[in-house]
Amino acid sequence: MAFCGVGRSTSGALLLGSLLIAFAVQADESRIRNRTISYVMTDLFWSVYQTEDAQNECPRGFNDGPREQFEKLFPDYDSLSIEKTQLAQEIQTWHPNTEPDDFEFFEVEGELSWGLNLDGQVSANDFTHPDGTLGIDNEVYRAVGCIIGFRGPDGVEHIFQNKAILDEVFNRMMIELTEVDSLKNDESVVITMYRGKDRLLTDATGQKVMAGGTQRVDYRWGESLIRRFTGQIVDGVLFTEPIAEMVMPWQNLSVPSVHVFKDARFQLNLSSEGASGVLAGYADVDTWYYQLIRNDSTHHLSNGQISAISLYKALRRLADSHPDPETGNNTAISTALDVRMAQVYIVHPDIKAAE
Amino acid sequence: MSSLRQVALSLIAFTFFAGGPVTVGADQESFAEAFRNVPMPDGFRVEASQEGPVFANASGMTLYKWPQHKLRNGYSGEPPGSPACYDDVLTVSAGLMSPYPPGISLPHLNKRKSCVDLWNPVTPAEGAQDIGDWTIVERRDGSLQWAYDEQPLYTSVKDQQPGDVLGGTRRRFGGDAPAKRVPVGPPSLHPPGFSIRNSFNGRMLATERGESIYSYDGDTADSSSCRSTCLAKWKPVLGPSLAREQGEWSLLERSPGERQWVFRGKPLYTYVLDSRTWSQKGSDETGWNNVFTQVADAYPSSFKPQHSIVGDVLANSQGKTVYIYNCGEDSQDQLGCDHPTETQIYRLAMCGAGDPERCLEYWPYVLAGENEQAVNRTWSIVWIDRYTGRFADPEQEGALRVWAYRDRPVYTFAGDKSPGDVYGGGTGEWRGQRNGLKAIMLRDDFFGGTL
Repeated sequence: MAFCGVGRSTSGALLLGSLLIAFAVQADESRIRNRTISYVMTDLFWSVYQTEDAQNECPRGFNDGPREQFEKLFPDYDSLSIEKTQLAQEIQTWHPNTEPDDFEFFEVEGELSWGLNLDGQVSANDFTHPDGTLGIDNEVYRAVGCIIGFRGPDGVEHIFQNKAILDEVFNRMMIELTEVDSLKNDESVVITMYRGKDRLLTDATGQKVMAGGTQRVDYRWGESLIRRFTGQIVDGVLFTEPIAEMVMPWQNLSVPSVHVFKDARFQLNLSSEGASGVLAGYADVDTWYYQLIRNDSTHHLSNGQISAISLYKALRRLADSHPDPETGNNTAISTALDVRMAQVYIVHPDIKAAE
Repeated sequence: MSSLRQVALSLIAFTFFAGGPVTVGADQESFAEAFRNVPMPDGFRVEASQEGPVFANASGMTLYKWPQHKLRNGYSGEPPGSPACYDDVLTVSAGLMSPYPPGISLPHLNKRKSCVDLWNPVTPAEGAQDIGDWTIVERRDGSLQWAYDEQPLYTSVKDQQPGDVLGGTRRRFGGDAPAKRVPVGPPSLHPPGFSIRNSFNGRMLATERGESIYSYDGDTADSSSCRSTCLAKWKPVLGPSLAREQGEWSLLERSPGERQWVFRGKPLYTYVLDSRTWSQKGSDETGWNNVFTQVADAYPSSFKPQHSIVGDVLANSQGKTVYIYNCGEDSQDQLGCDHPTETQIYRLAMCGAGDPERCLEYWPYVLAGENEQAVNRTWSIVWIDRYTGRFADPEQEGALRVWAYRDRPVYTFAGDKSPGDVYGGGTGEWRGQRNGLKAIMLRDDFFGGTL
């Protein structure tokens, strides 16, 4: 009734506008089937907040890697034995300890970081999100932010992980949202994580993942990876409840490994085509560390100037959660990962058989 | 030539036993791989082995080559026609694997062996002449050595019985693994267009492009059950018009002009849904099997296949993943360091920071049960000195009776808490390829046989 006096052309424009909005909403919801929409991961890497030339976060520069440390430790290596040099370094890599070494470790010194406030508190050690949110917990970033190999776009870890997630299937993780009424606002949805077993649908370049692909669920070897949890969608953003323990397959250089995240949660911008945002939680420190060194030889770590020996000490020093009941030492470290996903149709074998 | 043929035929009757969960047709279990007869010098023969048919000397000891292999910072091994394995005792590292530089002192210099201490050059008899692909090459001291296909030939001091292949492998290895010694043998007797690859499960047949070959239980040499809708998943492997039947290979005429290869009485197919080379996925379909020219020796009955997120691993009776230690030195001669007769310095560093007690805690040997006995040459039971890691006498105090794969002890990992855990895979230098441990995989759908 409020529009009764409005001219015909104006009302026509309003009608057209309403229709366009309706179409847009409809398009955005168009890939929901039976109140279900699913996404497959196409990018997953540690959230590393970077400024130009790293002046803000790493004012003292970047850390040395194994090659640089070896040269400093053993300037006269040709008068020494394998046991005293190479194997001594490898022993420290594979049997790490928290004793200080002779190298100053450069932690991130900036105040900004990507990530989430995991503990609901704002403390002196927390970062601030670039959008101004206080209390960001991301101590993995503090540890790796000044190591070249973890910085994008050409750090060795960055390259390998993102290549592997496109090329391989071992790490083909997906989320399926069920009981979805709207991708804009829905106070309760159910999320199930699965591993898929198919290649990604890409464009002709093979690099850009397209929405609308199909993935079969890996129940055979991936059953232990399945997790179910709930969440809500607010203004197009999915917020999930913390998941007690999430196992995330991780791969590069043809070695299968995993990360274990405790109290993990997603915060994802949803659309009909894909999802993007963060996965945040507390990473089990030992699992985190051994994933790194099992996937990368000392040679590969050297390419990214990643001293595993020094990094382990930093991870232990900065671990901020899940204290060991006996020692009281924290066993987990806060972290966040940048996530991108493409919409996918998940095929459940039992459903397919029934059809 | 007739005697060679007799050898070839007798080998077909040689018995191998099926091992592992790999699905093979019941009639595939008792074959050794046939080979093409090639001219050989007097005094040599062909032996059946786990690596397929291999050339052997008069005592039956396997012959090996050491082909040139590209490593991170250079090459090791022998270019064609050029022996590089001599009696020099090398004293420093070669720096072939970054980031560690060359020139570091190698371990145990006072008792270190030379290449020829471990690899005996195969010398021709007086007056021997080149024959076929066998040629005689000259070593730097003027002595002579047999070569096959221009690669100088050696025997391994590790081999003790005819058919042993304890010195090397034909299994695929990458640039980060040592320059390995490889058993040499006559070409396998298969038509053009096929290839064979060693795996833990046996010698697996594929097309020359690496597409896995399958057979169906319901087929016979004269009939294929796969018609109509079946062909949506299974693609018959067709022979060219000039193809001829030979030995274990025959042809089935599916329709006029369309002839399908048949191996040991089973028509052959590829699986349309295979997305990787050397895949085992097709064997998940009921009645379908990968084809092996010979299957591997059985593993101990107390071991079992175990599901993991990586695939199917070999596990001990408690379901704990079984690992094998791999080691090759960063020396120009790339000597091994993964056998109990070789230096244990590298292994002890990885398994326990140099402390044998920690090794026993973190990477315990897989102990053989009191009543268990070795079942074949591949899976043996050996006595090991718990501290040195070297072979021990059974009477030696504290000696451990452990399972060994190809004469090398196998291990479990303390970090694996539950059946299916594979947290130890890739431990050690170069992701477990050069001084470290890798899980034994029975079914690897994710990594293309690289684990």
